[in-house]
Amino acid sequence: MKKILIVDDEKDIVETLSFMLKAKGFECITALDGEEGLNKAKNENPDLVILDVMMPKINGYKICRLLKFDNRYKNIPIIMITARSQDEDKIIGEETGADEYITKPFEFSDVLEKIEKHLI
Amino acid sequence: MDNTTTAAIKAYLCLNGSNNLIKSFLQNNGFEVMEAIGNIEDNLTQIHHFMPDVVLIEDNLENCEYVLRQIKSVAKNQNIQIILVVNNEKTEFMGLSDGIITNPINENVLIATINSHLKIKKSLDRLYENNKELSRSLYQLNVLYNTASQFTGTLNTTKLFDIMIEAMEKTLSFDMACVLLFNPTGKSILNINTIHTPSQNLTDALKIRSVLNYKTIFDDGILPNEKDFDEIELIQKVKQSRSNKIFGLEVLSYDSLFAPIKVGSDFFGVVEIFRSLPYSTEDVTCFQAISHQVALPLRSAKLYEEISITNKKLEKLEKLKSEFVSIVSHELRTPLTPINNSLEIVLSEQAGAITPDTRNFISMAKRNIQRLSGIIEDLLDLSRIQTGKLDFKYKIVDITPSLELLQKTFSQVANEKNIKINLNIEQKLPEIYADIRRIEQIFTNLVSNSIKFTSDNGEITVTARLVENSEIDETKLILPAKKLDGKYILISVKDNGIGIKQEDIPKIFDKFSQIESSLNRNKGGVGLGLTITKQLIDSHLGAIWVDSVEKQGSVFNVLLPLLSERKTFEMDVMRALTNYDDVGIIKISMKENTDTISKLKENKLLNLTALSKELFINEEVPKETKEEIEEKIGEIKNVYYACIPKITQESFDAFFKTINEFCIKNNDDIILSKAHSKKDGTDIGKIIKQLG
Repeated sequence: MKKILIVDDEKDIVETLSFMLKAKGFECITALDGEEGLNKAKNENPDLVILDVMMPKINGYKICRLLKFDNRYKNIPIIMITARSQDEDKIIGEETGADEYITKPFEFSDVLEKIEKHLI
Repeated sequence: MDNTTTAAIKAYLCLNGSNNLIKSFLQNNGFEVMEAIGNIEDNLTQIHHFMPDVVLIEDNLENCEYVLRQIKSVAKNQNIQIILVVNNEKTEFMGLSDGIITNPINENVLIATINSHLKIKKSLDRLYENNKELSRSLYQLNVLYNTASQFTGTLNTTKLFDIMIEAMEKTLSFDMACVLLFNPTGKSILNINTIHTPSQNLTDALKIRSVLNYKTIFDDGILPNEKDFDEIELIQKVKQSRSNKIFGLEVLSYDSLFAPIKVGSDFFGVVEIFRSLPYSTEDVTCFQAISHQVALPLRSAKLYEEISITNKKLEKLEKLKSEFVSIVSHELRTPLTPINNSLEIVLSEQAGAITPDTRNFISMAKRNIQRLSGIIEDLLDLSRIQTGKLDFKYKIVDITPSLELLQKTFSQVANEKNIKINLNIEQKLPEIYADIRRIEQIFTNLVSNSIKFTSDNGEITVTARLVENSEIDETKLILPAKKLDGKYILISVKDNGIGIKQEDIPKIFDKFSQIESSLNRNKGGVGLGLTITKQLIDSHLGAIWVDSVEKQGSVFNVLLPLLSERKTFEMDVMRALTNYDDVGIIKISMKENTDTISKLKENKLLNLTALSKELFINEEVPKETKEEIEEKIGEIKNVYYACIPKITQESFDAFFKTINEFCIKNNDDIILSKAHSKKDGTDIGKIIKQLG
């Protein structure tokens, strides 16, 4: 079973997202702030990380950069969730090395499509 | 002038032999007499100091001609009357003297001659004085004229006062000038210009005096603002003081001129000047003219200042509004996400089976979430457009697939209303330089609008074809001041919906237009779609116009320009111009392929200091497609544009010079041209023309 880490300070988003992913047969672990997210990404061996941008303690970009510039974790696919949408965030995201982007509010089918692209 | 009548008449004698007789004769007749002693130079010095009215000089004097000429030049403007004492009739110097008398001198003749010459001298003196006054008036007039044109050249209050003081200095040569710059809200400023350093006593006195002066201006004693001594800030300027002399209170006893500076009820200050020599009536007129002249531009300056402040406030407000919209939109999206997710979970029946009615209502909620996100997206786009933050990713693209996609995108909505969407796209449309996502947004907006305003069983047709600018009626274009040029792709979205009243057509592109017209309120949306569409088309250097007949339908026509070297560049420049106030553009054309560009980069010339981040060099077209384009237009050979935002004209000129020198030094066959522009009133055509 593939393990997905969901990092977002919005509890409701984490809850709904993990519910749907579990229904699709994924194992889900969650984190509600950046620090917790970074620790879990490093210690729990997730197969993929879904990462919110705006978060307390450490923001999503920074986590993404820390993971992607570390040889031990750089192969973990990262999907960024952004509330800003579009270019402004994508440009910064590209620099941090994220693999995919989704804009709030998102369709579950889009998320699933992007996950499958990296895990299957 | 008057001295000649009251004081004794002065005579200087320069005679050979017996002067005594003549001397005592003249003295007896009330003359003050001085005799020449010593050599010629001594004599001239004596004359210079003595300043006689009359000189008697004998023609057989040694160096007589020289002496005659020198006297005239020693006392240029004194009109000294030279009477030559002639010994023989053949004298050569008559032309150099004013009169002659023959030797031996007859006393009566002498007196008569001197008297008549004194009369002449008096007239000459008067003439000279008049001339002097005339030329002074002329000078004052000239200064006034120049000052007037200087006044119109600035809207800076301090500068205007400086010009006024300078004009007064030139025309009225004061020893001291005091200008009280009246400031109704803060500290007023007292400017003191003096030729010697003023003492503390004097400056204190002047402060008090200026306030008192200010209070006398208003006849009714009602002041626009109460001013106190301690509310006055002092600025001192001492001019031409070489001596250590200090101006004390005695300056206040000098002759002075005083005037308020005001127009109507607008009061700007008071000016007072002092001079040890008395001022004439002409001076008073001149003084009043200058102080009056300065008031009008001061009022303009005041109005300008007020407008600038209001403008800044408005700009700030507009920015705040945009930021507000942006932040609010961001914040709205986050809660929308779990709502949407929850609805999806329910609909997917992962959380349990649902009845058909539940499905129907949950679907309804979900559809409206999508609608809401669309509106938020529009609001965000609009705020980005207004703040110049809308980012475009221009590429060479084929728009045909995007247009074909429209049918699919809207199939569900169209089916619901049983509206037929037809596509009529010309084969092999040429590619354009555009942001394809934005192009899709344009036509999604237009088609969704058409569906919105077309009743059930209607028909929508999207056509696309190549057109020449000559086929288009430019008077119909909505985007202002658009001049069409060359070939375009014309995309029309035609419907047989409710149509638009002719007079309403320009309004539909305004922000929130739909909200304003209550009739259409039930059609949904906030009416931002067309505003955004228009802006997006404008960014692509395109054009739009609308043909519509009420109750029969509308056609929205969009023109998108075909790719050309010039147009791609224009778009880049436009982007720079919308984002930055000052933009400098350099065009580098090379006849042969050279490595100058890489050399320029190596030498950091195209990567200067603070500019480095902002500077982008537009290598015309992406490399992979360069060949294709060259095939099409065949003339992109080593043309590079460097577009430097945020650069003032001055530093841009210097920058251009550096690059130019570098290119010359590198022996490259290179042609450089440049253009600089400010955001206000920028005409893209002009810039391109300037580049050649």
